[in-house]
Amino acid sequence: MESQDGRSDEPDDDGMNSVVSTLEGDLLLEEARAVPASMDAFLAQVERRAFRMAELNLGHREDALDAVQDAMLRLVKHYSDKPAQEWTPLFWGILRRRIVDLQRRRKVRSIMVGWLGGRDDDGDELPAWEPADTSPGPLERLTDSQSYADMAAAVKLLPQRQREAFMLRVLEGLDVAETAQAMGCSEGSVKTHLSRALQRLRDQLEEWR
Amino acid sequence: MNAPDNHLELRARALYREAARQLDPAVAARLRAARREALASASKTSWAHRLLELLLPAGAFAAIAVVALFLSSPVQRPTSVAPNSAQTVDVDGELPPDAAVTDPTLYQNMDFYGWLAKNGDSEASR
Repeated sequence: MESQDGRSDEPDDDGMNSVVSTLEGDLLLEEARAVPASMDAFLAQVERRAFRMAELNLGHREDALDAVQDAMLRLVKHYSDKPAQEWTPLFWGILRRRIVDLQRRRKVRSIMVGWLGGRDDDGDELPAWEPADTSPGPLERLTDSQSYADMAAAVKLLPQRQREAFMLRVLEGLDVAETAQAMGCSEGSVKTHLSRALQRLRDQLEEWR
Repeated sequence: MNAPDNHLELRARALYREAARQLDPAVAARLRAARREALASASKTSWAHRLLELLLPAGAFAAIAVVALFLSSPVQRPTSVAPNSAQTVDVDGELPPDAAVTDPTLYQNMDFYGWLAKNGDSEASR
C-alpha cells in the first residue's frame, strides 16, 4: 500500500482504534447517507463539499474547480453503471488522485520556474504559477470564518496522507472501508493516518478544546 | 474516548459543511455548469456506445455473409488458352463468327456483309 508521507501503513498503537470507534459510534451515525437517486443528484449533493476539500488541499480556487470538474467527468464517464452505493468512495478517490496530480504538476512547474530564474528566454518575467486569489473569498461570508480559517491552516500543515484521512473520514464522514478505498490503502493505514492527524490537530487547535 | 477529540471532529465537520453551504455564488454556478457538462458528455458517450453496440453485430454479420457468399459461389476457372488471348484474337479475326454466340441476323444478311466487305473501303475513301 502506498504511503506518501514515508511512514508505515500499518497501525502502530491501540489508541487509534478507540479514536476510530468513537468516530464510528458518534460522528458517523449523526447523519446516515441516503443512496442517491441519480448521478445528477449525487453530484449535486457532493459538488460543493468537493470544491471545499480540493480548495483546502490545493489552496487555489481555479485549481480546485478544475479538480472537481475532472473528478465529475471521470466518475460519470467510467462509473455511471456502478451501483449508487459505490459512487461515494469512487468519487472521493478520483478527486484525491486528481488533487495529488495537480500538486505534483505544480511542484514541477515551480522547479522549472526556479531553474529559469523566474524569467523566460527573452528575459521577461514569467507569470506566477500560484497567483494570489484577489476575488472576495467565501471565507468572508462565513459567520465563523476565523475558525474555518484556523482549521484550514492546521489541516494544510498535515502530511498528505494524514490530511486525506482526516478530510475523508472526519470532514466527509466516509467509513473506514470507504476511506481506505478512496485512499488506495488498507483500513489499518487509514486508522494510523487518522490517529496521527487528530493528534497533530489537537496540538495545533488548542483553543478549540 | 475523551470528549475534546469528539468536539474537535464535530466542530471541524460543522465548519466544513457550513463553508460548503455558503459557497461563493459564482463558484457554485461554475460547479453546476461542470456537473451539467459531465452528465451531457456521458449521455453523448452512451449514445455513441449504443450505436456501436448495434453496428458491431450488424457489421460482423455482413462480413460473415460476404465471406459465405464468396466461398459458396462456383469458382470461375480460367481456360487453358487464356494466356494466348492476343494470338486467339488474331486467329478469330480470320475465322467465321461462332454461330452459337453471334447474332442470327448476321447470317440472314450475309450477302450484305459480303458486299460491305468488298466495297466498304472504296465507299469510305470517296
